[in-house]
Amino acid sequence: MTQGPVTRIEEQLYRIYMEFFETAERERRWSLFNDIPWDKVNPSCSDDLALCAETFASVEMYLPDYVASGINVVRPWFGRAWWQANWGYEESKHSLALGEWLTRSGKRTKDQWFDHYNVIAEKQWEAPFKTARQMTLYGVVQEQATFVIYVKHRDFAKREGDECLYTIYDFIARDEVAHTRFYQQVVKVLLAEDREGTLADLAKVFAEFRMPGVDLVPDYDERILQMRGQGGVDRDLFIRKVYLPVLKYLDISRHEMLAAQRRALQERQDARENAAE
Amino acid sequence: MSDTKDLLPLFKSVAERVDRRSFETVTRESVITDLGIDSLSMMQIVGEMETEFSIQIPDEDLVEIVTVGDLCSKVERRVG
Repeated sequence: MTQGPVTRIEEQLYRIYMEFFETAERERRWSLFNDIPWDKVNPSCSDDLALCAETFASVEMYLPDYVASGINVVRPWFGRAWWQANWGYEESKHSLALGEWLTRSGKRTKDQWFDHYNVIAEKQWEAPFKTARQMTLYGVVQEQATFVIYVKHRDFAKREGDECLYTIYDFIARDEVAHTRFYQQVVKVLLAEDREGTLADLAKVFAEFRMPGVDLVPDYDERILQMRGQGGVDRDLFIRKVYLPVLKYLDISRHEMLAAQRRALQERQDARENAAE
Repeated sequence: MSDTKDLLPLFKSVAERVDRRSFETVTRESVITDLGIDSLSMMQIVGEMETEFSIQIPDEDLVEIVTVGDLCSKVERRVG
């Protein structure tokens, strides 16, 4: 099949992916079997710690939906399509590691764990945004927020004396921050191509952002309440650790966001009012 | 330009524009999260108030804002 010439943006995205992939291969890879101190599980840790780990694992278990929707959205772009495949591999280890911890700690049996997956699989995650650019921006925000939450729960695991779960969270947090950095690099290219359109999409993503487990994971609201007690993302933390760092990294001022954000907030309000009617 | 002595009325009008609902009963002691204002709306309100006076509150000061009065005071100090 004949393809057109490689565009400048395609080449840039491919290069960003290759740099990401090289760092991942050389410096960031971790093994479920060799690098996690499974003998350091603390079987007497609290049920809260287990519930939080199970909730993280649950969100990660929608991986088939994340990969399917992501890879199809970016299919025409070589670098980004391969990124999605690699992203899927890295994310697949997250739920595996957390699931292993739940069973090895004795907090869940194998049967309970598989039953839980069956419940998870009954619902399907759908991409919250329509375009590749919006989904890339969603990736920036979601991975940054996830990184922040994992770091807080890494500290929770340490307080509970579970070196194994601490290590798992540490590896996952490293992956998540690497993922947000990749997305940020891509967004810089998109900003250079179309700054106004990218800012509009970023404002839309911030305005409509929800973590992916909402309405999917069983008892999600109760779980989130529990997790917030141990280190969730409240308003201050979202501003301090997600919104402002993302803008700073992308070299976007708060004031540059105002016009696009005003439109996005009005559209969000319109949608809420229409839904209420 | 708005009254620089007390920016509560400006806060109310900006918040009403951003969130499209009444904030008539709000006082300086009102906790912003209790008003149902989420993080992004909060950023928008701050930005609109900064624009009104051509000022900029440093990012690190934003996280100290808990009440409406906290925000008004930060703007008032910079307006003089």
